[in-house]
Amino acid sequence: MITEKRRSGLKNFMNRNETVGYVFAFPFIFGFICFSLIPILTSFYYAFTDFSMGSKTVEFVGGRNFGQLFTDEIFTKSLGITLKYVFISVPMKLTFALLVAFLLTRKTRLQVLYRSLYYVPSLVGGSIAVALVWKQLFARKGLINSILTQAGLSSINWFGDRKLALYPLILMSVWQFGSSMIIFAAGLKEIPSTYYEAARIDGANGMQSFFRITLPCLSPIILYNLVMQTIQAFMAFTQAFVITAGGPDNGTMMYALYVYNQAFKYNNMGYACAMSWFMLAVMSVITVVIFRTSKFWVFSEAGD
Amino acid sequence: MFKKFLATVLSASLIMGLCACSGASSETAAGSAPAADGSAVEAAGDTAGEEKVTETAAAETEKEEESAESAEPVTLRMAWWGSQTRHDITVAAIELYEQEHPNVTIEYEFFDFDNYFTKLKTLVASDQVWDIFQLGGNFPEYIDKICYMNEFIDSGLIDVSDIPETYLKITQDTAGNQIGLSNGLNTYGIAYDVDMFNEAGVPLPAENWTWDDYKDAALKISEATGHFGSSGLASSEFIAGCSTYIGQQGSVGQYGFFNLDLTGMGFEDAQMLTPYIQMRADLIKAGASPDAGAEMEITNIENDFLVTGEAGMTWVAVNQFPTIYDICKEEGRTLALATIPRVKPDGPAGAVIQSSQMLCVSKDSQYKEEAAKFIAWFQTSVECNKILNGERGIPVADSVRAALEENLTEGQQIMYDYVSLVGTFETPEKVNVLSPDGQDQVVDNYRNYIQQVVSGEITAEEAADKTYADAKAIFQ
Amino acid sequence: MKIKKGIVKTLYHIFVIAFGLAMVYPVLWMISGSFKDNSEILRGSLALIPRAVKTSNYATGWKGFSKITFATFFKNSFLITAVATFGTVISSSLVAYSLSRIRFRGRGLWFTCMLATMMLPGQVIMIPSFLIWYRLGLANSYVPLILPYFCGQAFFIYQMMQFMAGIPRELDEAATIDGCSKYGIYSHIILPLLKPSIVTTVIIQFYWKWDDYMGPLLYLSKPASYTVSLAIKMFADAASKTDYGAMFAMSTLSLVPVFLIFLFFNRYLVEGIGTSGLKG
Repeated sequence: MITEKRRSGLKNFMNRNETVGYVFAFPFIFGFICFSLIPILTSFYYAFTDFSMGSKTVEFVGGRNFGQLFTDEIFTKSLGITLKYVFISVPMKLTFALLVAFLLTRKTRLQVLYRSLYYVPSLVGGSIAVALVWKQLFARKGLINSILTQAGLSSINWFGDRKLALYPLILMSVWQFGSSMIIFAAGLKEIPSTYYEAARIDGANGMQSFFRITLPCLSPIILYNLVMQTIQAFMAFTQAFVITAGGPDNGTMMYALYVYNQAFKYNNMGYACAMSWFMLAVMSVITVVIFRTSKFWVFSEAGD
Repeated sequence: MFKKFLATVLSASLIMGLCACSGASSETAAGSAPAADGSAVEAAGDTAGEEKVTETAAAETEKEEESAESAEPVTLRMAWWGSQTRHDITVAAIELYEQEHPNVTIEYEFFDFDNYFTKLKTLVASDQVWDIFQLGGNFPEYIDKICYMNEFIDSGLIDVSDIPETYLKITQDTAGNQIGLSNGLNTYGIAYDVDMFNEAGVPLPAENWTWDDYKDAALKISEATGHFGSSGLASSEFIAGCSTYIGQQGSVGQYGFFNLDLTGMGFEDAQMLTPYIQMRADLIKAGASPDAGAEMEITNIENDFLVTGEAGMTWVAVNQFPTIYDICKEEGRTLALATIPRVKPDGPAGAVIQSSQMLCVSKDSQYKEEAAKFIAWFQTSVECNKILNGERGIPVADSVRAALEENLTEGQQIMYDYVSLVGTFETPEKVNVLSPDGQDQVVDNYRNYIQQVVSGEITAEEAADKTYADAKAIFQ
Repeated sequence: MKIKKGIVKTLYHIFVIAFGLAMVYPVLWMISGSFKDNSEILRGSLALIPRAVKTSNYATGWKGFSKITFATFFKNSFLITAVATFGTVISSSLVAYSLSRIRFRGRGLWFTCMLATMMLPGQVIMIPSFLIWYRLGLANSYVPLILPYFCGQAFFIYQMMQFMAGIPRELDEAATIDGCSKYGIYSHIILPLLKPSIVTTVIIQFYWKWDDYMGPLLYLSKPASYTVSLAIKMFADAASKTDYGAMFAMSTLSLVPVFLIFLFFNRYLVEGIGTSGLKG
């Protein structure tokens, strides 16, 4: 009788929501503390020091690193370039992803094949291999220029001009629209076909039903993709690192690349940490702005 | 003949990035000879490595013995940067050493220049620097991790009597601490394509040609051939060009880019840089030198535009010359070496003979003595250097140099003659070729300023002022 | 009417295929480059069909560098990627279950933390993480590249939570009535229904991990422990006379595993994305 009670006590304990929750969430909590929280706090501390990898002594320098941000020309430049990259590439990528996803909703036996075809750039785009190919494509005597000259145009020195060099990188980002496309496709699938039928009966054409039904129904998903892609674009690193190394004249000095350079190339770890924190602040502000404005354009289904 | 410039090289030290990319012509010699028993050595090495894991740091008191069987197994970690040719020959040399010393296993790592230092910085932070590591003129940044080699030399553990005092000095600091042992002698020059000069009707460079001659040649070649007049790896240009340009002004030794003890600038008037920056910008604007986009396509000396036949000249660290000479010869083109141009034909040459890089013993090492023994062997063994074949510069040990001099290739002969020639130039009593911590950022900015001059955003005067201010800021 | 419909249909297919081919052109160009001669690549030829098919690029490239062949690099990449992907699937599904189905104290906090880690720039924690791994004596091993993946990946936790939101709660309730514990609900109901989402996770995590460059660069030092992406970059940087043909050959090979995983699972890709939870 008593043992039974105890056993059921244990059973009750194990089945309490608190216990179950923490048992299942344990891997994340452990990982979060060890691999995110502790490093973040360390990095926050370093942001107020002159820490560098080479030296053993760490001196507290107060807000100097943050002050330096405002006198550093390259920092301002890289911030501008990153914002330009984000504001051009993200809308283009999402528009493109949505159009292609919409195009591929048409039921055919080849749908899976088509979707795979359009997903290939996303599948391979993050690799070093494709970055090296991209560099080759836009080289002075590369594929793009040979297309231009064959079309009777003059070739363009993409990576020789500060104002142009960012565009191959933007194009590469837009090219990898696949993951957004897949998420849009999943969303499109869930829009009840009855909505469209009702619209057709009301005499709406394709355009009208796209703007009146598709877009509003998809708006939560657009929001999600917008946030994810914006964050990802802010952190863009590998492509600039492999393809242009930030040049020419810092024309492609993406923020994350500059952070990396300050940390590893110029050995100013403390300053780099301060820059990372500034980046975190900028990203948070933009994310908050996106969420705040979202209530004006994201439609939620009533009652949910 | 090398005695000639013994007197001239004084406390010169290394220069960073000098040999980031280069190669020697001895690939076959290096690749085939030790490869046959390489696998056996590796197999033996693996077990030694596993045993080492459980070992404590008791090895420091260990007396080294030549009878290898009885010696305790030792695992050394070693790293360097360079090109594929260097990786292959260095691995072959390591395998030879392991064969001669069965108790020693060397775990090696190799990188390109940038990644090498990224890795090194992480190891410094975690007190895990490789037992044997390669450093250049940027060694002051890592001085806390370097174990001076004086005690090993004084105790007779390693025998460096074959290396002339002068050459030991090129890897000592001013206090006489032996930072490491030099991998070879080196200096900068301009490699050029003889036929392109002739085609453009430009006289071949004289020993004391000037920057005006150089600019003129570059413009004419570019006009006549449609190729670049002068190309170049951006990393070499600052040291070989810009920094040398300062040293060439005034009297011998009056100016340097940085001062001798690396605590400040070696010149006061920023405008001394202006004519050089203006010339660089003019050449790029005229299409006679690669612009940023073209420059990006040069990843190492072996695909420089001079080597691909698209330029008349390029900067080289002369240890790179034999390799590109051979490549061009295969394609029927002849390369030659010219001196760095001067400000005035009778003014200072500004060129110095220096160490390419050196191997150092790490303070983190458990086996400092074993590491030192390896380094001494690496620099003084004739057998080892037959494999290395001067790819890191002209060897410093007398017997090694003598052995290699017996069968030089054409390209190597030109390099040797060139180094002798530079040795005859009048050089200052003291020279500083070290890079202060922070130079990387100055050089990156300097290159961007030149691009801004090209695009007309700023004037050469402003670029000079900005470069000067950046460099000065290092010391604040 | 029928004919017109047919024409529209055909035009649609032609357009989709042509446009799709334009999208994958760079990849096709790389593959064809792996069969081309070095000089042909450098001239920037448009043609996808090499003038002379040169298969020796593969043999040259496979040799790798300093006696380490690409077989070693592929083996290393497979090991790291497979284990990390497995870890991601298991841990992320556990965490997603707790955050989406269990009402426990602190849930909101941990959910916020999870969202925050998604937005954290990797550069912020790179160095401190390295130092921590060193103090644990685990730098220079595969552990830092694998262990964090057993702690759930925020992106996938979030994806799975979206998907779970689409699994009717009535199923849970029915199971509870039948005497099923919360643990049983996870293993008997949620996990099997989560299959499409798991497949999506496998595909995406596999190619993310396979392509990862920074991690191996920081944590691996011995050339014999390099992954494919690190090896390709080293190959391109260090090769004396940069051999584009061989580089493209190895690049092509490096994408093969990613393609295979994708082809094998791709029919689930769209099904695996849950969007129910996104609706306001």
